[in-house]
Amino acid sequence: MDILNILVVGLLLGGIYGLVSIGLNLIFGVIRIVNFAHGELVMLGMYGAYLAYATLGLDPYIAVLLVVPALFVVGIIVHRLVLQPLHAESNMQIFATFGLLIILQNAVLAITRGEGFSVPSKVAGFTFGVGDIRVTVSRLVIFLALTATAIALHLFLKRTLIGKSIRAVTQDRQAARLMGINVERTFTITFGIGSALAGLAGVLLSPIYTLSPGIGGNFILAAFAVVVLGGLGSVAGAYFGGMIVGLVEAFAGFYIDPELKQAIWFLIFLVVLIVRPTGLFGQVGAEEVGFREQN
Amino acid sequence: MNSDDLATADPSPNRPAGGILPWRRVALLYAVGLLVTLVPLLLLSRNFFWLNIITYTYLFAGLAVAWNIIAGFGGQFSLGHGVFFAIGAYTTARLFLDWEISPWLGLLPGAIACAVVGPLIFWPTFRLKGSFFAIATLAFNEVALVLANYLESVTGGPRGLQVPFRAAFKNMIFTDPRAYTVLMFVFMAIAVGISIVLMRSRLGYYLLAVREDEDAARAAGISVIQVKLRATALSAALTAIGGGLFAMYIRTIDPLTLFSLPDIGVKFALLSLIGGMGTITGPVLGAFLIIPLESYLRAVFGGSGPGVHLILLGFVMLLAALFMRRGVAGAIDSLRQHWRHRRSA
Repeated sequence: MDILNILVVGLLLGGIYGLVSIGLNLIFGVIRIVNFAHGELVMLGMYGAYLAYATLGLDPYIAVLLVVPALFVVGIIVHRLVLQPLHAESNMQIFATFGLLIILQNAVLAITRGEGFSVPSKVAGFTFGVGDIRVTVSRLVIFLALTATAIALHLFLKRTLIGKSIRAVTQDRQAARLMGINVERTFTITFGIGSALAGLAGVLLSPIYTLSPGIGGNFILAAFAVVVLGGLGSVAGAYFGGMIVGLVEAFAGFYIDPELKQAIWFLIFLVVLIVRPTGLFGQVGAEEVGFREQN
Repeated sequence: MNSDDLATADPSPNRPAGGILPWRRVALLYAVGLLVTLVPLLLLSRNFFWLNIITYTYLFAGLAVAWNIIAGFGGQFSLGHGVFFAIGAYTTARLFLDWEISPWLGLLPGAIACAVVGPLIFWPTFRLKGSFFAIATLAFNEVALVLANYLESVTGGPRGLQVPFRAAFKNMIFTDPRAYTVLMFVFMAIAVGISIVLMRSRLGYYLLAVREDEDAARAAGISVIQVKLRATALSAALTAIGGGLFAMYIRTIDPLTLFSLPDIGVKFALLSLIGGMGTITGPVLGAFLIIPLESYLRAVFGGSGPGVHLILLGFVMLLAALFMRRGVAGAIDSLRQHWRHRRSA
């Protein structure tokens, strides 16, 4: 395996991490909720893809059109019923999202009886190669989807009125409220979008992984690492943060020890958190706003 | 034992002025409270199913109290206490396995190690606030999990360590399961005692000041970082002792058990939150509610399908979060105040 190959493996892996993180980054960056259940939303997206395949015979790349809106609705419901009533209680929000995690994981476990599913796709399995480097279509799709999503989200936040209100709320809730922005509604929409993005990640990941109820746990900590590494609420941060984590994992796995690769990117994550808590692309001072000032 | 009477830990600003209780009254309340927690043991000591649950309840009550010292009183929401728990468990087991050092003594090196390691790893993270601190400490837990799997010569790797069953008092291995229950009860009693004394000491008041407003505390001449580090040392050391006891009780420890988030690292936080963070009784109440409930649900619904008991537990957690913002201790407190208010009106 040469360097170029590791580079490609790392970038494609980074695509997975980035796609899982981009919704979490939006939620964490804007609402400041440590959403432990984000991995479970990804998991729901995966099972949604399976459901669409099992009942309608849809290819996951078509099921995207159904699953993503469905998770948007799930996100809105979760935020309205559970998180919004707890808006001033950050510790309780952590607690509540952990409760959600347990419920979602075990509800899926109870329904599927722990059976592992896989979602076949007509196109996902193809590989093509340039020289020695082999790339599977499914991973390339994820990389491209992440790139497209990042650009779309960036434009959405910059150009549309809702996007602008989301940015305003991120910067200063009080001022945003005084400008006539409905802060609660903005939060709910943000959470919905974040969940929809988790659903997107889930559907696109479904051809790669065998589905299990606990699969969200594989992504959630990596996603938090990406969010902090890249910078809160920064779309570019989630994109490049994902790439960095993917590359570090690939290189560390090859040159140091595959068993230690996670420890190494966690250490990098800790160092970034301590040296530059705003992350690589974050706004300076964003992390200083603790719980208390947020009401 | 009531938070309102015992100490200064009540987070509500408008608690009735009562001054500080004299030590004799505190000691009395402490003794009465401990007697109350002994009731389930006395009632159910013949039933081995419940005895196991009660043993865990005492252990986790003590652990939640230990976590609450830095998280509840100090306002530093740590999700990394699994690291201290594991260090305690590994140290105690390893010393016993390799050098036949009695676990009674073996608990101490782990505690001392955590009193040093805890402040050392938390020190850089204390710059972070709120959820950033929580996530950073969560990362410690994950790094430690990977390292524990990797360092096979120390931790036994993924297979873990097994402590052979050699019953003897000096080995802290007993044929009578009630001995363990008493052991965990003593641990809980000591942890509660320490947190009562702490909250009546200078360090305790400093901690509350730091939690309420760091800048104001600093302006009043408190060394914020020193206060946080000292409380971390105490909290970590107590957690390590709990870990050592856990290791000797289940006698087989592996990384996935010790670093499990829902069962260990986040559990301490959940118990304290549901009971009432930043109160002395809260973590104990939380443990007495959740641990038996969890075990009971598992026993009753465990057979009716995988995960059913955990769905119910998740709903209990959600409802508790939504309807008891300050935990059970907080809910009791507001009921009392409501009642007092009506009586005086």
